[in-house]
Amino acid sequence: MTPRTPRVAVIRFPGLNCENETRRAVLAQGVDADVFMWNGPTDELARYDAYVIPGGFSYQDRVRAGAIAAKDRVMDCIIEQAAAGKPVLGICNGAQILIESGLVPGLGDGLVEMGLARNIMPDRDGYYSRWAYLRVESAETAATGGLAVGDVVPVPIAHAEGRFVTTDPGLVQRLRGNGQIAFTYATPDGTFSNDFPWNPNGSTAGIAGISNPAGNVVAMMPHPERCSWLYQVPETLAGEWGRRRRDARGDRTMLIAPGPGALVLRSICERLFAPEGG
Amino acid sequence: MTEHRSTAVRTIPIIDVPDDELARETAQAGLSFTVSEARKVADLLGRDPTVVEANIFNTMWSEHCSYKSSRAVLGEHLPTEGDDVVLGPGEDAGVVRLGEVDGESYCVVIAHESHNHPSQVVPNEGAATGIGGIVRDVYCMGADVIGVMDPLRFGDPAGEHAERTREIIHGVVEGIWQYGNALGVPNLGGDVYFDPCFDDNCLVNVVALGLVREDRVIRSRIPEEARGKVYDVILVGKPTDPSGFGGATFASRILDEEKAFDDKYAVQVPDPFLKRMLAVATQEVLQFALDRGIPIGFKDLGAGGIACATSELGAAAGLGVSLDLSSVHVAEEGMLPEVIACSETQERYSFVVPREISAEVCSIFNERFELPEICHGSKAVVIGKVIDEPRFVLTHEGRVVCDASTEQITTGIAYDRPARPRDRSVRPVRIPPDLDLGDALLAVLGSPNVSSREHVFRHYDSEVKGSTAVRPGEADAGVLAPIPGSQLGVAVSCDGIPRYGAVDAYEAGARAVAESVRNVAAVGAVPIALTDCLNFGNPEVPEVFHDFVEAVRGVGDAARGIGLKDADGPVPIVSGNVSFYNQSSTGNAIHPSPIVCCVGRLDDVSKVVTQGLKRPGDALYVVGVRGAALGGSALLEAIPEMTGDGAFSRTDFDAERRMYHAVTDVIGEGLAVACHDISDGGLVTAAAEMILSRPEMTGLGVVLDAASLKSTPGEWSEIAALFNEAGGYLIEVEPEREEQLVEVLTARGVWFARVGETTAGDTMVVRNVGASLTTIQGDAMRHAWFHGARDAMTGRTGEDGR
Repeated sequence: MTPRTPRVAVIRFPGLNCENETRRAVLAQGVDADVFMWNGPTDELARYDAYVIPGGFSYQDRVRAGAIAAKDRVMDCIIEQAAAGKPVLGICNGAQILIESGLVPGLGDGLVEMGLARNIMPDRDGYYSRWAYLRVESAETAATGGLAVGDVVPVPIAHAEGRFVTTDPGLVQRLRGNGQIAFTYATPDGTFSNDFPWNPNGSTAGIAGISNPAGNVVAMMPHPERCSWLYQVPETLAGEWGRRRRDARGDRTMLIAPGPGALVLRSICERLFAPEGG
Repeated sequence: MTEHRSTAVRTIPIIDVPDDELARETAQAGLSFTVSEARKVADLLGRDPTVVEANIFNTMWSEHCSYKSSRAVLGEHLPTEGDDVVLGPGEDAGVVRLGEVDGESYCVVIAHESHNHPSQVVPNEGAATGIGGIVRDVYCMGADVIGVMDPLRFGDPAGEHAERTREIIHGVVEGIWQYGNALGVPNLGGDVYFDPCFDDNCLVNVVALGLVREDRVIRSRIPEEARGKVYDVILVGKPTDPSGFGGATFASRILDEEKAFDDKYAVQVPDPFLKRMLAVATQEVLQFALDRGIPIGFKDLGAGGIACATSELGAAAGLGVSLDLSSVHVAEEGMLPEVIACSETQERYSFVVPREISAEVCSIFNERFELPEICHGSKAVVIGKVIDEPRFVLTHEGRVVCDASTEQITTGIAYDRPARPRDRSVRPVRIPPDLDLGDALLAVLGSPNVSSREHVFRHYDSEVKGSTAVRPGEADAGVLAPIPGSQLGVAVSCDGIPRYGAVDAYEAGARAVAESVRNVAAVGAVPIALTDCLNFGNPEVPEVFHDFVEAVRGVGDAARGIGLKDADGPVPIVSGNVSFYNQSSTGNAIHPSPIVCCVGRLDDVSKVVTQGLKRPGDALYVVGVRGAALGGSALLEAIPEMTGDGAFSRTDFDAERRMYHAVTDVIGEGLAVACHDISDGGLVTAAAEMILSRPEMTGLGVVLDAASLKSTPGEWSEIAALFNEAGGYLIEVEPEREEQLVEVLTARGVWFARVGETTAGDTMVVRNVGASLTTIQGDAMRHAWFHGARDAMTGRTGEDGR
């Protein structure tokens, strides 16, 4: 019997706005993917193999970014399924929702241990859009399983509140020890840097994405769905990916080759094809 | 109708009232009618209008809705038709064919408007509702919005009103990102200029682009099927509140006489969250109707609210509507019928659907998307029905408060305004003899009107939806690949340089067209449509109106003279807007400010070219002869010692046409690796920008040979040639492709020259005629370019604000 094609639910909370392109980028990894409404039946949701919470402004960022969606009924279901080991990826506002739900970093049994605070940037405030160079810090998470520590993955950020913060002075050290820091911000050659604009929002320890201790739930601020194909990559990007984009000019086939973000989504989806208990 | 009009229906007495008293009465009623306009209303109706009717006519006859000063001029000068134009001006947005994918014809929908006055008064909300309004115009054609752009004009950020100007800039940019980013449409930039003439009147124009299959375009009209069938009118969106209703006088009087009425309602309140919900739910409604083959009507509510939208839906079909204003969901108790009918509450649409699907359409909004719970009482409700005769009937609490012909309401009025040329003394431009080329370039690069716009565009989400191929700052135009799986691309650019408006209105219009065409051609796209937003002072001033006519003439002549590439005929102007009265109470009018947007098509988006240099050892070619005139130039503005306002390089339509044909040929054949248009600051500035447009990669430079620009024998100024702003392009080409490039350029009959080479040094070197060398360091150029506008806009001088 041929195995069933894995199915990924891309959650639509009211006010999210990246669900369609996120679904497209997930579909490109050879799995099935649906946009699943926040008020849809949870028994149906529970049958999906993985979950992606995309970017946007869920519930208008009322109270705090992600705070209301984190209390939504579908999140109870996702929390249950995450505990059973299914992969969950939160991107941008999706990351904010995972943080607010306590799923990540997830050391304190549902406690909210971190926050995603307003960007701190020299001489500007508010929203900031830019391509960031991510350094893979741990290959043990669902989003980095297909990558190696030290790999450079350029991915665009676009947010006003993306600065990982915590009041627990030892937390970052514990996250690092557990291999929960998936990505940090770096220079184009992959050297960790806390300097603007490489670290574009003042994030603590340059954190761009973190996981829960088991590694199956990942919250990341950058948008892998916006760089899943080479045509989405800027020609001016430094390093290997910029060179690939420039070399692809005029070549339709090359231009729809996978971009750096596809590596992140592929890591998630490859888990779904892995043999049971493997 | 007299039998059911009770005495409680308030009217505006006109027929038996003498002129002076009438003027006072209408002003007191908050109506901006002239006396003759008021009399015309009574003539049309054959009686005194009700208060509701008077307010409806007042709105429909406003300059904003009726184009009463401009319509005839636009009709005379602007070409609006073409083989690929599906819908030209007249509906909410223009529709033009983009191309076929898998046998289906896809169209670009484009709308262009201004939100100038609101943005000057309440910058954040004004700019936000500007986006909110323009995207509604595109959504209601059945399209998905795929991008927006904001051409912005601000006062002098270092001038007399610096503090207020900076507040306005901050508020406008914040309003744009807060709305657009939350709505989830990529902002492809636009442009920004500063001039003291905008101190009292900033310009916040906005363009929205949509994509729709040609067979799915929805008209803003009641479908023909409604003639034999019951069709309901559905209102969906935010509860109607008094926001944006009428003038302050009227509001105050009502406040005294009737209900509590809060001043806060003078401001329209943007809600991108609700707009996003409406956009997603609407797609399901449109699909629902499409699946069942049921024709529907769909229109957004903008100026004039319910009355304007629904009467136009009826008039377009020669039918009427009958609505019960009491069934409209409202934000507060006791709202007056004229307020319900005419308020401009944001985030609302109306649908006209057959009764058998009304309940289901409403339930998509109300149950599936839970609008009432999630969006504070927003919902979809049936507020009336289509009627066979072409009348517009409104009832409120059981009484008829409006009963007029839809045609009379929507036909509008027209004025023939007097025009008179202004006196303009022209003083020749003098270049100081000791002006150093390097200093001049750094002054231009660091001037607010030329330097990098990065500070602004990094506030915008340019990549949401995942279809952006070229972002702001990377090239002259933004580029989208909006159809997944297809290589079809859309390029878009907005242009209009205030400095040329100051010297010549015709040239300002012509140049705006030429530059927008050049910008889309510089990425390899061919123009398929234009839109214009014409921003001017008070049209009742003959000099202002003359400028307006001249600018429109310039736009029209350029659209015809430059023309399409793959077919005969003008680049059609498919949509547009006129904004008059951009004039302060002290009488200062803005410079004539025609702003033009060009949409271009790329058959193969993989061929798109950006402006940053690619590698050392390539050749640089200039296309387009360099003139000597510096009137209107960025150099003149940047160098205080330079004086005069004399001759400028006039846009040469024939040359522009040949050049863009040549450049798109070059890019289509894969011969260029970088391309940038020559505009503000001339050739030398364009070359510097090609060095600087690679923020993460330094280490490339250029060597330019100024003597190569000399096109005619005789006296010659190298500074003038380097900074002259005649239209043109700079192209980077690999040495092995030079021969082919020369062939293509020659075949198209354009003036061109090999002006230099790219180098591995982070410098610009200019070889002068006398064989002396000027070397400008990359760091100095970068510093000037990154800091110029940013420091001016923020008043900050920090080192790292990138």
